[in-house]
Amino acid sequence: MIGLTVLFAGLIILPHFLAYHHQDLLIFTTINVLAVCSYRLVTLTGEWSLIHAVMMGVGAFTAALLFLEFDMAMWFTVPLAGLVTAAIAFVLCFPLLRMTQFYFLIASFAAGETIRLTWVEFVGIFGGTGGLVGVEPPIVGEIDFLDPIPYFYLTLAVVTVCLFLLYRIEKSRVGLTMHAIHWKAPLAESVGVNAWRYRALALVTGSFFVGIAGAMKVHYLGSVTPNQFGIGFMVFILIWVIVGGYTSFAGPVIGVIVLTIFDESIRSFEEVRPAIYGAVLILSILFLPAGLEGLPARLRVWFGIGNKHADPKLTEH
Amino acid sequence: MALLEVSNVTKRFGGLTALNGVSFSVGEAQIHGLIGPNGAGKSTMFKNVAGFYTPTEGSIRFAGQEISGRLPHHIAELGVVRTFQETTLFQELTVLENVMVGTHIEGKTGLVSAILGLDRKRQAAARARVMETLDFMGLTDRQDQLASELPLGSQRALALAIALASKPKLMLMDEPFAGMNPEETNHMMDLTRKVQASGVTIVLVEHDMKAVMGLCEYLTVLNFGEVLAEGTPADVRNNERVIEAYLGGTGH
Amino acid sequence: MELIVQSLINGLVQGGFYSLFAVGLVLIFGVMGVVNFAHGELVMVGAFTVWLVHAQFGVDYLPAIALGVVIVTSIGIFMEKALFKPTRSDPLAGLICSIGVLFILQVVATLVGGDGPSKQVPPPFHGTLIFLDVIRVPTQRLFGLGISVAALVALWLFLTRSKFGWALRAVALDREAAALQGINTDKVSLIAISIGAALAGLAGTLIAPLTNINPHMGHNVIITAFIVTIVGGVGSLTGAVLASVLYAVFHTFVTVYFGGTVATICGLVLMVVVLIVRPTGIMGVRVSE
Repeated sequence: MIGLTVLFAGLIILPHFLAYHHQDLLIFTTINVLAVCSYRLVTLTGEWSLIHAVMMGVGAFTAALLFLEFDMAMWFTVPLAGLVTAAIAFVLCFPLLRMTQFYFLIASFAAGETIRLTWVEFVGIFGGTGGLVGVEPPIVGEIDFLDPIPYFYLTLAVVTVCLFLLYRIEKSRVGLTMHAIHWKAPLAESVGVNAWRYRALALVTGSFFVGIAGAMKVHYLGSVTPNQFGIGFMVFILIWVIVGGYTSFAGPVIGVIVLTIFDESIRSFEEVRPAIYGAVLILSILFLPAGLEGLPARLRVWFGIGNKHADPKLTEH
Repeated sequence: MALLEVSNVTKRFGGLTALNGVSFSVGEAQIHGLIGPNGAGKSTMFKNVAGFYTPTEGSIRFAGQEISGRLPHHIAELGVVRTFQETTLFQELTVLENVMVGTHIEGKTGLVSAILGLDRKRQAAARARVMETLDFMGLTDRQDQLASELPLGSQRALALAIALASKPKLMLMDEPFAGMNPEETNHMMDLTRKVQASGVTIVLVEHDMKAVMGLCEYLTVLNFGEVLAEGTPADVRNNERVIEAYLGGTGH
Repeated sequence: MELIVQSLINGLVQGGFYSLFAVGLVLIFGVMGVVNFAHGELVMVGAFTVWLVHAQFGVDYLPAIALGVVIVTSIGIFMEKALFKPTRSDPLAGLICSIGVLFILQVVATLVGGDGPSKQVPPPFHGTLIFLDVIRVPTQRLFGLGISVAALVALWLFLTRSKFGWALRAVALDREAAALQGINTDKVSLIAISIGAALAGLAGTLIAPLTNINPHMGHNVIITAFIVTIVGGVGSLTGAVLASVLYAVFHTFVTVYFGGTVATICGLVLMVVVLIVRPTGIMGVRVSE
């Protein structure tokens, strides 16, 4: 509890010490934390979907359309974006959840790509490859949320609430049941668990939160294009989750933060960046399968302290 | 009326007939054994009863209701629970969490209730049931251990505990004695009798003859998907066709 | 009428190319159990090699093809030894590693070729063959189709007539059983990826004079390969070829009337429909979960 308070205090002071560009980065990193934690909920039931990045785009496009077409303020576009994204995810559950593992992966990829191509194709509504521009956050009295520091506090508040909800879900019986499906779905079904319903719940809820993340992003960035939420961003999400680790709630958060800092440090290697990430992915999978969150335990083993059998991930299954 | 009535169940997979016109019935509070050489169709029968397969022909009635073709979790809600061959547990969860999942039927909660904590009472009741079941199975001391860390006997007891926590009326036990030494077998037999005494009807698939003869009041013998013989253990033990089936090279 | 016939021909030729890389993907998945997300990039490298070596340095087209195939096959072998073999127990890990390779290959191509507009390779075969006064097939396309068919026939012969071919099929059917029978599954996997990569590289070299070459051209390839693989049946090579041809014709027609994006959307929707209705595809064998 003390740790969290310190963290918060730190976060509140932080933007005042940062350059403009880094303030932007702080906002986007916070949004990405929400994106990746919502992805973790989806993978809790054991299925890795490739549609999550696109769903964030669904949230972004929804918020943008609501703002541009209906003059709706951000206070409404963000929650509505979440709901619309959740609704679309719900509809997709019916075809997608008929499959598991490899087929689900490919089907989710196909569904995501279809949505993305729809944005590209229907230029009249979605703006084609250029996307939509001109989205703005509101001005409340003296505060213009277009400025980074107010927007950061807003984002921090929204993301904190969302993370709190995600955490509560995971620790509740609902989360336990999702875990159970991940490990042994037939066993769970034999005691009355409707596996389909819980998979759907994970997908829909995860999509709700990532839709909100998308809406938060578009209101600051001002524009949304189909390419922002394609396989490139999906890979980032995967990298954050894999490098950070996904057995604990904090793992993906660590992943986002560490990799964002890392990303900044290789900014000068613009051309080569995707290759560096490719290498990072490969090295992570091969040498750090439990992710960064598993690093303390792993280090303990390497230095001969502690029990090798304490971390199940270290022993080959 | 029998609690479980299997009538003329046939199950075909493409060209393969796994079960052919199998019938038997199980009375309340009985321990009924389903035995036979490997490949006789015993596990297939279980999967049909528990809803993981749908019979190609025939009917399965539980407490007077037709359950064939229903989904596994629906059948579980009616009170039929199965255990699985080869220890099947939630490996990365603790013993307590494992049994907690077993209380799903009564303890499940909606998303909003879970977030707002409105289900506190229900979770407390579920937890009480978990502790009760752990105590019944003798696992209370191990409640915080990971399922993957348990010795074999405790793992099997845990599998039983998960099933028991759902307050079943009928339990289908699939080879719970596999790989056990005599001491573990005795312990497991005691647990099984205890479960029966608490009012649960049991159908037992098993190869271990000591357990089968010691526990079952009635036996159905399957061979190549058909009923070969049935009767009390004494009857079946002396049945020539049964002896031949087991000694004919397809025994365990 | 002319348009329809011409589109049909174009579709068939395209189907030949699709077959090459779809079959490679199916082979890799069937024998090794891993989805090679970098398969499109393998095709891209083949195309890039031809551009670099033939269009830029003036080497003859045929040796350029050979070089392209060799390079891509080497990449495939490297992937197997360094990535797929260590992650055999976790196919998801293998998939993610292949995504890493995807990015690395794209960057290498960007560095080699620069990030300008798409590259073109002037077709080494000139002229057009005209059939029945109506059908025009550029000789280059005919060449591509011919080589594709030859490669597929060679593969078919290899799989059905040679010892290694039988081993490949055995491992694809049941890895454990094959191992128990004494088949060296690692060696078989190596053969599978070599063939798969070679076919992809070949496809790239054949497509090079017919399309725009850029580091991101692999994206469409992998999508097409997925669609075709699923529709044709995940375990089936014949299904992949059949689906390749049918899909290529379908895609060509839809593109003519509605544009490429719509065509791809239709393909993706078709794939999801097949996954729902008949996950084994046109000819696939039922995969037990």
